[in-house]
Amino acid sequence: MTANLNNPVKTNFLVSLIKNPPRKILAPICAILFILTLWQVLCSGEDANLPSPLLTFQETANLIFDPFFDNGGTDKGLFWQILASLQRVAVGYTLAAIVGIGLGILIGSSAFMYDAVDPIFQVLRTVPPLAWLPIALAAFEEANPSAIFVIFITAIWPIIINTTVGVQQIPQDYKNVAKVLRLSGTKYFWEIMFPAAVPYIFTGLRIGIGLSWLAIVAAEMLVGGVGIGFFIWDSYNSSQLSEIIVALIYVGIVGLILDRLVAWIASVVVPSEQQ
Amino acid sequence: MTAFLEVDHVDKVFPLANGGRYIALKNIHLELKQGEFVCLLGHSGCGKSTLLNIVAGLDRPTQGGIILENKQVKEPGPDRMVVFQNYSLLPWKTVRQNIALAVNQVYGNKSASERKAIVEENINMVNLRHAADKHPAELSGGMKQRVAIARALAIRPKLLLLDEPFGALDALTRGSLQEQLMKICQEHRVTCLMVTHDADEALLLADRIVMLTNGPESHIGQILSVPIPRPRNRLEVVNHPSYYALRGDIVYFLNQQKKAKKRQAKAPAIISGNGLEKVNLEIGFIPLTDCAPLVVAKEKGLFAKHGLTQVNLVREPSWKAIAEGVTSGRLDAAQMVAGMPLSLSLGMGNKPPSPTVTALTLSRNGNAITLRKSFYEQGVRTLADFKAAISQRRDRVHTLGMVHPASMHNLMLRYWLASGGIDPDVDVKLTVIPPPQMVVNLKAGNIDGYCVGEPWNSRAVYEKLGFVIATDLDIWQSHLEKVLGVKEEWANKYPDTHIALIKALIEACEYCDDRRHREEVLELICQPQYVGSAPEYTRPGFIDPYNRGTEGSPEMLLKFNEFYVDKTNCPSRVEGLWILVQMARWGIVPFPRNWIEVLDRVRRNDVYSEAARQLNLPGLEPERTSFQLSDGTVFSPDNPVEYLQKLNIKRKITIEEVSLDPLVASR
Repeated sequence: MTANLNNPVKTNFLVSLIKNPPRKILAPICAILFILTLWQVLCSGEDANLPSPLLTFQETANLIFDPFFDNGGTDKGLFWQILASLQRVAVGYTLAAIVGIGLGILIGSSAFMYDAVDPIFQVLRTVPPLAWLPIALAAFEEANPSAIFVIFITAIWPIIINTTVGVQQIPQDYKNVAKVLRLSGTKYFWEIMFPAAVPYIFTGLRIGIGLSWLAIVAAEMLVGGVGIGFFIWDSYNSSQLSEIIVALIYVGIVGLILDRLVAWIASVVVPSEQQ
Repeated sequence: MTAFLEVDHVDKVFPLANGGRYIALKNIHLELKQGEFVCLLGHSGCGKSTLLNIVAGLDRPTQGGIILENKQVKEPGPDRMVVFQNYSLLPWKTVRQNIALAVNQVYGNKSASERKAIVEENINMVNLRHAADKHPAELSGGMKQRVAIARALAIRPKLLLLDEPFGALDALTRGSLQEQLMKICQEHRVTCLMVTHDADEALLLADRIVMLTNGPESHIGQILSVPIPRPRNRLEVVNHPSYYALRGDIVYFLNQQKKAKKRQAKAPAIISGNGLEKVNLEIGFIPLTDCAPLVVAKEKGLFAKHGLTQVNLVREPSWKAIAEGVTSGRLDAAQMVAGMPLSLSLGMGNKPPSPTVTALTLSRNGNAITLRKSFYEQGVRTLADFKAAISQRRDRVHTLGMVHPASMHNLMLRYWLASGGIDPDVDVKLTVIPPPQMVVNLKAGNIDGYCVGEPWNSRAVYEKLGFVIATDLDIWQSHLEKVLGVKEEWANKYPDTHIALIKALIEACEYCDDRRHREEVLELICQPQYVGSAPEYTRPGFIDPYNRGTEGSPEMLLKFNEFYVDKTNCPSRVEGLWILVQMARWGIVPFPRNWIEVLDRVRRNDVYSEAARQLNLPGLEPERTSFQLSDGTVFSPDNPVEYLQKLNIKRKITIEEVSLDPLVASR
């Protein structure tokens, strides 16, 4: 009885999906197919420098279907490689978030501090992430902390700057309410300043996570060890171009997931009125 | 009793980017009683919100201060809770949390359940139970403002400050919120100071309406008290007899301010025509029955008849403003109190002398002395009774109002008091109050009586606040009262215009004096742009028998308002001398040894005679004789100094040569 009732509905849905597919799904599929075809055509020649999509798939089937293998050393599945990179990002980014929000609030609430450090920050934030690496290596004398430092220093600027703006932009009305009620410092922070600045803070965090993921790949290429960046570099050195292509796709997808994750957290934390 | 809230001579100056200063508020002084609802009214940009912020402590005055219950306000605090214009609710908190934030902060010493009860009680008070868990973004403007009011009232502030709280709401919501606010304030006896630009809102809610002039240097232009009894209802207040008169006053004030703004923008141009040097005249007047000749000359086309085609009558808030207007050149001419041309020419109050002339007396009599009703109940009927009454209460300062130091009201009130053995500076205190504010101040208990022109005595009688103990007929019958004053420089620059102006006004005076025209004149002056008073209390004396507010029946005073008969209009020099002598007697100005020169120069009989001649009127100066006042004293025009020396009650008399500056240009 129940099955009979459910089946026609399911069929109808599937039929309508096939008969009348939504453009949002159909269009990207078409684009991907087109690119793959073009790529296949361009790289099918005898002396092509890059592998064609089919060849890539054949050569990396074990990488794609078994991301969890671990042969010791740096010979690990893509899951482990990405996990190692994510761990570094997590440490560097978390530090950047804590320090950045703290500094941002401090700078935003004091006009003097803002005037004092803003020019310095404007210069520092334009320094490319990798330019920090030699200094970090010299200072920490170890690869892993240096990579984490690069993540930290890359992600911190947008977080500081956006938090500062967020604190500066707190409407005078809210400040007046706090003054009239004589809210204490901590109460003002938790009841007014932090909630009012949260949307700005999350904008900074979202930019920050994107930049960290960009920086980690480059940093790992230079410092070595387990990690998706070094995996790409290693594959290049051993002329495994197909592996690089697969790794790039993984990097892209993980970056997208990270961005969406922070956006989702923001949507949970930031009240709907302020989004 | 000291005031609950005192705004003590507050100035607010903002530094400008170019290094200059913008004076937003100048010398604002205001006192609020506990439980009073006061509205601040004015055009946008007049500094009313700045003033509110200063009271709240969110802004600091440049000078002066705010005193709440005898303590100076230096910072914001929950005892002066503000309802902001744009609600200022925290968007990340629900209605309940917004209110709870304030309650938890202020009632930190109460238990959690007590605080919760307060929050819930206030949510119910503004009927928001159904929305208690919603965020502000889900609420309409009216609901948000109700939350803001609930938040403010929940912490029981001593003073509730509202900054245009209903400005952004639709009419229906505004109306119901106004009634809710009124009800809540009345139930909890909350003292309120509210900023608004809506005349009807102010009249509905306020006990007093404080009207601010335009910035820069915004100051209190006028204070109206709203005598409508409470509880008030939006639909019923409009039926109160004084509603439209008050509304007229407010709208008139706002319009005047708007005009003033335009005037500031463009410099006055001089338009000549009709054989006259200047036909566009700004003439100042004060809303009093005896401004009738000016109103008649304008409304009956007499100015135009004599070529003055663009005359604008400007209602001024006080005699001080009139003096300032003529001196600064903002006004071409003005109705003045009789002594003003002399006091301005001599430089009263250590001001530089500003030679001012008069060539026309506009009216005679028309004043009275009103005392608080309670004196009548004590049995005060005569000046002697009054002296007895005030000497019984030596502990109390008895304050009497008059309109300007150089006015006949001041001089005659002093003369009358002194004739009864009361020293006007020792036994009582005299204070300057603009005529339209006398009744309000009597009602508020700021003064015990006053001497002023009509209709402000009859108004007090009409409202049963006071009674008339003496009219000026009882002191000096047919004394000069209002004159037309112009700057000497102006008179020399525009001699033909001056004569045309005087001709028009002589004819207007003649028209006003005819009792057959009085009903029509009354109708003209009662219009809101002129006196704007209700005819009921403008008629007595002018048309009807004069009601003193005593047991005696009203009596007909045919000479109460004289505009033309008995050589009213001539600027007689003897009368001018009487004024000089009285002003010297009370130390208002020194007595000029060269008084003959001063009188010749200020009281321009030559101009008057020329105008009269052109109208085929005799225009003679009255005989230069001694005259007697009602107390029996004879005043002789020949020996003023001896007269001064004989007086018993007087201040230290100084006699000095007063040098008026040389004539700028002669005719």
